[in-house]
Amino acid sequence: MYPEPENIWQTIEYSKVGIYIAESTWAFPTLETIHVIALVTVIGTIAIVDLRLLGIAGLKQRFTELSRDTLKWTVGAFVLAAITGGLLFVSKASTYMVNPYFLWKMGVMALAGINMVYFHVITQKTQAAWDVYGTGEIPTGAKVAGLLSLLFWIMVVGFGRAIGFTLGIFY
Amino acid sequence: MGDLLFNFTEWLRTTALVDLALWISETKASEIMATNFWAIPAFQVIHILSIAAAFGSILMINVRVFNAGGTSQTLIETANRYVPWIWWALLFLVISGFVMIIGEPVRELINPIFWIKMVLVVVAILLSLWFHNGVIRKAEAGQGVGGSARAGAVIITILWCAIIFGGRWIAYAPA
Repeated sequence: MYPEPENIWQTIEYSKVGIYIAESTWAFPTLETIHVIALVTVIGTIAIVDLRLLGIAGLKQRFTELSRDTLKWTVGAFVLAAITGGLLFVSKASTYMVNPYFLWKMGVMALAGINMVYFHVITQKTQAAWDVYGTGEIPTGAKVAGLLSLLFWIMVVGFGRAIGFTLGIFY
Repeated sequence: MGDLLFNFTEWLRTTALVDLALWISETKASEIMATNFWAIPAFQVIHILSIAAAFGSILMINVRVFNAGGTSQTLIETANRYVPWIWWALLFLVISGFVMIIGEPVRELINPIFWIKMVLVVVAILLSLWFHNGVIRKAEAGQGVGGSARAGAVIITILWCAIIFGGRWIAYAPA
């Protein structure tokens, strides 16, 4: 029924899980829905931290408190988004791998990750000096991290939507 | 369930919504949306980012209601921080939603899941008005965070998840 896989992406796509999701009437849309709920949680909580770094909102709370309260939700929701996204990918692996928007989305997510790691490892070293209640001066490095994070995640949503409109164009 | 939705669609096809949808589809605005490949996805991105703003804000209020974080702030301070973002996000959701209806009037208006979603949206708005203006203020007036605040927080979150579910499934409605 399915042709012999010619590469790793087809092997993934023609796996039991991949075929099940692709043939089911409810699995793909249901996974998409959970993916959306997870990703709005990821982006919503990240944006709250970004806006605090940019000095735009949430200034009544210390950065560390806001960061601690949001981070567990960001991480938990990201894991859920990655699992559901992974399952969506498996069902159409070879179609996604030739879709430039999918590759861009993965690339920009990697940039968002690098930005986050750099911020946590390097910029946050100085946070004792600016982690204050109210309108303490936030260093430029932290502001740049917040702005880049917002931009990257908006791009991730943009590329994510673009994938859905271009499946079948490149393949 | 499929049959029920199918019958719902059949009924929608007998209403004046068909004329409305066809009339919208002949407007210049609809034509512009339909002939620009990126128009619909662009407004969907605005729609999703607005949901993120609202959902993140609702989450932070819930976290405070359940004392799971943000405890340096009172409930009313937390509400003052996040409630405006929910209503501004809703404004952007309504506007981008309207634009998407103009772009694809038949797909939206002659769609049972679209109307189920709209009912849920109205319920969510009414509940949020009660939650933001009644429950949170009352909790602040000295009675503490009670059962109605916790119930309100959970119900509103479930409603939003159901609305998101409806939003995604508009694309998969049985026609």
